[in-house]
Amino acid sequence: MPILFEAVSFAYPGTQTGVRAIDLAVGDGELVALIGPSGSGKSTCLKLLAGFYRPDHGRINVDGHDVDTLSPERRRLGIVFQHYALFPHMSTRDNVAYPLKVRGVTRAERRRAADEMLDRVGLSDLGDRAPKTLSGGQQQRVALARALVFKPRALLLDEPLSALDAGLRVAMRDEIRRVQREAGIATIHVTHDQEEALSIADRVAIMSDGAIVQIGKPDEVYDRPRTRFVARFVGQANFWPGMVGEENQVETPIGRLRHTQEGVRPGDKVLVLVRPERLDLFFEDHKTPPPNYFKGHVTQDRFLGSIRRFDFAVAGNLIRVETRNRAAPSAVAIPPDAVRLLPPDDNENKKGELS
Amino acid sequence: MSNGGTALTPPGLRLAFATPGVVVLLLFFALPLSVIIIEAASEGGSAFGRLFEDPVFWKGLRGTLVLGTTAPLVSVAVGMVVAMHISRLSQAARTGLLFVISLPLTFSGLIVAYGFILVFGRAGFVTLSLAEFGADPAIVGGLIYSPAGLGIAYIYYLIPRVVLVVLPVLINFDEAQIDAARSLGASAPRAYFDVLLPQIYPSLLAAFCLTSAVAIGAYGTALALVGTQVNILPLMLYSKISETGSDFPAAAALSVVLMGICCMVISLAEIATRHTRPSMTTRSAK
Repeated sequence: MPILFEAVSFAYPGTQTGVRAIDLAVGDGELVALIGPSGSGKSTCLKLLAGFYRPDHGRINVDGHDVDTLSPERRRLGIVFQHYALFPHMSTRDNVAYPLKVRGVTRAERRRAADEMLDRVGLSDLGDRAPKTLSGGQQQRVALARALVFKPRALLLDEPLSALDAGLRVAMRDEIRRVQREAGIATIHVTHDQEEALSIADRVAIMSDGAIVQIGKPDEVYDRPRTRFVARFVGQANFWPGMVGEENQVETPIGRLRHTQEGVRPGDKVLVLVRPERLDLFFEDHKTPPPNYFKGHVTQDRFLGSIRRFDFAVAGNLIRVETRNRAAPSAVAIPPDAVRLLPPDDNENKKGELS
Repeated sequence: MSNGGTALTPPGLRLAFATPGVVVLLLFFALPLSVIIIEAASEGGSAFGRLFEDPVFWKGLRGTLVLGTTAPLVSVAVGMVVAMHISRLSQAARTGLLFVISLPLTFSGLIVAYGFILVFGRAGFVTLSLAEFGADPAIVGGLIYSPAGLGIAYIYYLIPRVVLVVLPVLINFDEAQIDAARSLGASAPRAYFDVLLPQIYPSLLAAFCLTSAVAIGAYGTALALVGTQVNILPLMLYSKISETGSDFPAAAALSVVLMGICCMVISLAEIATRHTRPSMTTRSAK
């Protein structure tokens, strides 16, 4: 396993903040995204792996070797920093060649390797330029080339796209994925952007308060989140407190809902989750209404370009809905398989919430 | 000129504001300087001849250059480390420490010398304390009155100057570059050598030149500590004016030489920092 965290804990000296009991395995060529709000410990994981901090407990393995006693320069990990950390006094080519220079590679050979790497990220003409004269996206590519040129054991990306503007970010996402696939290298990608994580990662690990609360394939964590926190962090959601009834029914503040989830017993308290894009819309009265059918009217309507997100008022409650449809529905229905039952919140027993 | 000044600063008012400064500059800088140069050049410049034939001058020049390079070198080395530490502190801690570090700059050289004598002199606190452990007070106490002791006293008030020059550059430096270099395979010393040093060396050079000019020209501390025994040009100048007082043209010639050396060193600093200044302004503008 290229990257393996085993029960790793770390606290910043004199504080309670850090990470707790991190178990994480990243396979060959796999890209795992670490996401979470700021302060959730995702960058700390990266710094522990990079060797800038040492774990208080647990072990970190890279390619089967315990690296905890190794200084950063001996771990052979390629890191792309948030603001790239390019060396301003060196040309683009010298930046990319630097890892080879410190390894004693001859001048001719490192020039050849650096040019080849620049070519792979589409910057073959810019080798002589100073990093400062490049655009943000180009600097990003230089940083990526520099992190890969010495064939590291793994690639670490620390919020690599956060300094770019929105349009470029989407393009660079694909670029990073392409270069990473070509290199076939185990990668940890830290980000606070859930869309970025879901779109490029093989697996996504959601962090909260120093711990990984769920890890899984992007569709898995989106469709079957384990907690309210995960559900809310990876996308939009309707939440209602619920009480499981007989025959696949659950009582909620908006009414009785049919669900398809296994493993719950009548009387269980649950948190009901429905993703807003899963609802079916109706524009006329339905003679034989489907399950979980609600009449009501649109209150808040938000036009977001490709979709509309509106609040639909039913029985004193709101259902948040997302649709491509531009007409206002007179009723909505929640397909039973769109109803997810999560463990109830301990401290938040609100009557329902849009998120 | 009609559109040159705004209503607030008509040309006449601007002239009025400038006048006191110009008068002071003329009266206390340009005038004495011209007099010295004229004095040195009188008798057809023979004062320079007499000066250059005097072996004491060459010894003094050597002493001055040795002091003017070693003390700044040590100061730059120590000052850079101090500045690196300060650059990583919080804003509040930084302000506090900078205040303490800047204090020596406000002391006159005489006070520094007197303080050093009280602490490190023959009956000084440190000297006597070390004597308890068997250190010979004659040797320990003598150090401060030697050229090396003079160097140490200079270093004491040159370090703050180095810190003040180097600190802004270090604060602007992105520490992630060091992390990047290390992750790419450079040891910590190598990372600092390859990445930090090339970016801050102009300011180190500027700090060196600035402190060098100060060390070459200073005489108060030297006079108080070592009298006129140590051969350095400022003390030679002092004795030419105060003690014998006979050869004013030679004293003037010596002054011109001293000024020439200082001007050369300062212009070196200007040249060294000129390249870096535009990039520093763009950085701070961000």
